[in-house]
Amino acid sequence: MNAGGYIEMDAVVKKIINEVKRGDQQAFAELVELYKDKVYQVAYRMLGNVHEAQDIAQEAFLRAYTNLESFDMNRKFSTWLFRIATNLAIDRIRKKKPDFHLEDQVAGTEDLTYYSQFASDEELPEDKVVKLEMQEWVQNEIMMLPPKYRSAIVLKYMEDLSLKEISNILNLPVATVKTRIHRGREALRKRLRDS
Amino acid sequence: MACSSDDKRLIHKYLDEEVTLLEKKQLESHITKCPECEEQLQELRKTVAIIQSASHMKAPDDFTDNVMSRLPKQPRSTRWKVWMKKHPYLITAATFFLVFIVSLQSIWNEGNKEIVVKGDGQFIVDKERGVVVIPEGETISGDLVVRNGNIEVEGEVHGDITVINGEWYLASLGQVTGEINEINQMLEWLWYHAKEFFNDVVSIVDNNNGENNDKSE
Repeated sequence: MNAGGYIEMDAVVKKIINEVKRGDQQAFAELVELYKDKVYQVAYRMLGNVHEAQDIAQEAFLRAYTNLESFDMNRKFSTWLFRIATNLAIDRIRKKKPDFHLEDQVAGTEDLTYYSQFASDEELPEDKVVKLEMQEWVQNEIMMLPPKYRSAIVLKYMEDLSLKEISNILNLPVATVKTRIHRGREALRKRLRDS
Repeated sequence: MACSSDDKRLIHKYLDEEVTLLEKKQLESHITKCPECEEQLQELRKTVAIIQSASHMKAPDDFTDNVMSRLPKQPRSTRWKVWMKKHPYLITAATFFLVFIVSLQSIWNEGNKEIVVKGDGQFIVDKERGVVVIPEGETISGDLVVRNGNIEVEGEVHGDITVINGEWYLASLGQVTGEINEINQMLEWLWYHAKEFFNDVVSIVDNNNGENNDKSE
């Protein structure tokens, strides 16, 4: 079932990409619609800030558009797109490193709109509050991880990607991806225990 | 019981769902004897569950519009080409219409030079004045078409008169039983042709229907 779905999805994506390559700029909007939530989530989880996440996610799509000619149609488009997005996010983290720890402490609490951005069905208010506190805690803990563990953990547990896909996105051997996930998991466990 | 680093590695391998059946049994038997490793495994499982429970996020509503508005502007020619590819039927229709107009125009131009009369009966063509005269006492039965000239009716015409690119004059004694049409404008002329064309089509369709009815009876 799933495999069939993916193949169908790939066919749709390839059709759209060909339309864009032939000059139909408007067709690109369909690609953005398909992947905007996933790309935005990666950017947000990596940066912990709504404005930066939006900025980086948009930039990722713009880069994908301008470099579409260099995209190998035999590969998976989402992998290529995630690669652009994670590289941009890591570059952004490197650039703001001096005040990195200061921002860390307020991540999640600094932006109230952050709460409204979770897709959630109508729930009882109390459940909602508990859930939001948990969300905030998760994001704070992820922000405490060094970026190289953070990207591996986000792709594995939030985007639900396979080790092979993550290795393609991060351009690292599968063994290295595994080590990063293990270390990230271990670091999170220790913090959970201490909290 | 002291834990080897192998056991720690096995825990992560277990969480990655990459253990063999033998390794799984090995870890399970170790855990029963080692509370420290058991606790670590439980904590790691809990950690993963919490991270996975984080709701999926949605991009802001105006996200796609923002991206699209920031794309590099395309040259006009490319946009036109894309539009043509998307609307092949419109292009076909437009081409057909163009051919139709051009062919009509060539007929118009051809016919522009000399005075032409279509119809049966006795009439005089005065080429110097460019007038077709139906003399007094003459009767024309059927339709008359005059192109590039005027018509003067002094006798009788039992039918319609159509004057293309000219004028008509009916003498006091002259009689026309049908309608008199004057077509001087290119557009009117086109309209006249188009109407005739569709009349033909309709009559063909009617004939076909008639045949079909005959067969069914």
